[in-house]
Amino acid sequence: MRLPDRVTGLFLVGLGAAAAYGGWQLPPVPGQPVGPNVFPLVIGSGLALCGLAIAFGIGNSFEEAEEIIPLEAGQTRPTGKLYGLRALLPPALLLLYVAAADRLGFIITAALIVYATATALGARWKLSLPLAVLAPVGIHLIFSKLLRVPLPAGLLPMPW
Amino acid sequence: MLNTLIEAFTLISTWEVIIALLAASVYGLVIGSLPGLSATMATALLVPVTFYLSPIAAIATIVAASTMAIFSGDIPGALLRIPGTPASAAYADEAYAMTRKGEAELALGAGVWFSAVGGIAGTLSLMILAPPLAEIALSFSTFEYFWLAFLGLMCATLVARSSPVKAIAAMFLGLLVACIGIENPGGVPRFTFGITDLFGGIEPIPALVGVFAVAQVMRAMLTPEPPPIPRRKFGSIMAGQWRLTKKYRVQMTRGNIIGIIIGVLPGAGADMAAWVSYAMSKRFSKEPEKFGTGHVEGLVEAGASNNASIASGWVPSLLFGIPGDTIAAIAIGVLYMKGLNPGPTLFTEKASSMYAIYLMFIIANILMIPLGIVMIRLASYVLRAPRSSIMPVIMLCCAVGSFAIGNNMFGVVTVATFGMIGYVMEENGYPVAAMVLGIVMGTMVEQAFVTSLIKSDGSLLPFFERPIAAILAAMAIGALVWPMLVWAWRRLKRQAPSAASSR
Repeated sequence: MRLPDRVTGLFLVGLGAAAAYGGWQLPPVPGQPVGPNVFPLVIGSGLALCGLAIAFGIGNSFEEAEEIIPLEAGQTRPTGKLYGLRALLPPALLLLYVAAADRLGFIITAALIVYATATALGARWKLSLPLAVLAPVGIHLIFSKLLRVPLPAGLLPMPW
Repeated sequence: MLNTLIEAFTLISTWEVIIALLAASVYGLVIGSLPGLSATMATALLVPVTFYLSPIAAIATIVAASTMAIFSGDIPGALLRIPGTPASAAYADEAYAMTRKGEAELALGAGVWFSAVGGIAGTLSLMILAPPLAEIALSFSTFEYFWLAFLGLMCATLVARSSPVKAIAAMFLGLLVACIGIENPGGVPRFTFGITDLFGGIEPIPALVGVFAVAQVMRAMLTPEPPPIPRRKFGSIMAGQWRLTKKYRVQMTRGNIIGIIIGVLPGAGADMAAWVSYAMSKRFSKEPEKFGTGHVEGLVEAGASNNASIASGWVPSLLFGIPGDTIAAIAIGVLYMKGLNPGPTLFTEKASSMYAIYLMFIIANILMIPLGIVMIRLASYVLRAPRSSIMPVIMLCCAVGSFAIGNNMFGVVTVATFGMIGYVMEENGYPVAAMVLGIVMGTMVEQAFVTSLIKSDGSLLPFFERPIAAILAAMAIGALVWPMLVWAWRRLKRQAPSAASSR
């Protein structure tokens, strides 16, 4: 999701202005010149200024793109709008965990997350299915049994 | 002094600490060697586990995991030309060229040996620098802290890969995140939008897990899987390292010193140290033409540098709560949770704990040599694990770990949100490390700023009156003005030859 500098810069201007305005609206501490309102005002203004500078391309004199994993010869980066959306899968799965873990329980939700992530990364069912069974049980054992994190039991409580 | 040392020894010679140190070492070696999983991520995922450990054992895990991960990033760098952690990126090409020349043992041996030497040099700097600085820092008032924090925040520009303005914007964004909650001078709910979960503010640790771990899984979704490592037999790994040490002792020392300096500077860490040292090595080498063709000199210097920065990154973290690098940022979070609040008094009141930290760094760096050799020999098996089996487990650790921090589902929401923020920022050239600096330092900066303003009663003079405050102020203003001058100068120089082709 590479956006033009103008877009991100203007977004920061908006965010900074909103923060400065929001901070300014906060009630001051009675009898004191500075309270909780000063800091957001300063930060917001700074952010808005930076945003302006970015939007107008000031100071990006040494821009260099960096590729951590080089592409092999003949390998092409898949393109297309839907392909880019794959990146949203991990946060979406985490939000699914928030929504479903209490009802379905840890094991089932975790199995779904593991299966979906593994499949999205190109694993065949021979790998992702056993992984979806073993990984949640292993993590449950470590966190619930050893570290005593109260993981939701839900529909499938573990015997320990 | 001797008593404290003995006390420190008894602190670390419990089974809990020893097991934690060993387990975290193995964990750090494995995570560090897997491409795409960074040392910071390894540390961030450890935090929920540290909850349930004693303070010293908790710090032991962080020390061991981060030290090992920075070294083991060299392994896939040398064997696959893919750095395991960003800290090895500077010399991955060089190490791979050595492997192709049939010198894989020498490259990896140099990695493990000079990493250990660098780590110990960094620890010595921590031992030597921190206590006297703590003496000075004891007399600091909020004005000094304000300028110190200001300087620390200015260091955000150091991590800028593209434009320093973006780095500063990212830093402001982090400070803005720190504004959320009721922990402010007036105790009023600020930027909470009526959401009760936001009243306590954004916990730094889930935010860091999101930014470093979830964002990484998101990137993995769009990048091709690295090729599997060819299976191979290794000869003696440590052979010839002593000869290298003698031959390149100047380079090694220079690498150590650069690493220590960069480690101490807030925000900039091992990857920065490696890049700078590799460049330095090439610049001052007697045979610069050999660089890039599989020449060990740069490896020596950069390897000595990136591990030195790990320990010295703890200096500002322990003294002021200003993170020396992203790993130290996580360490600060853990220190707070364990009641070892960063500050100069830590060195007087909890001196034995400090000595325990030094000792653990030294032990971890010595342990790195045997464990590192085993890891190198096993690398072809570990690196065979497909990414599609590791990333799902990391996802689970993110979910459970962030939940465990407050036994609260809001932690998981934070992780997911910051994963997205971190991903979008990195894609667009906003350095995440700068935002982390802002998030971790936010509360402290605001406190120093507002308290100073209240004390000075609206006048600016007290900010410059005390001698140390004046020095720090001069440095801060210099740091602010310098890049602008450089930028203006570059702009003037560039305008003359080609105004149209530049963008």
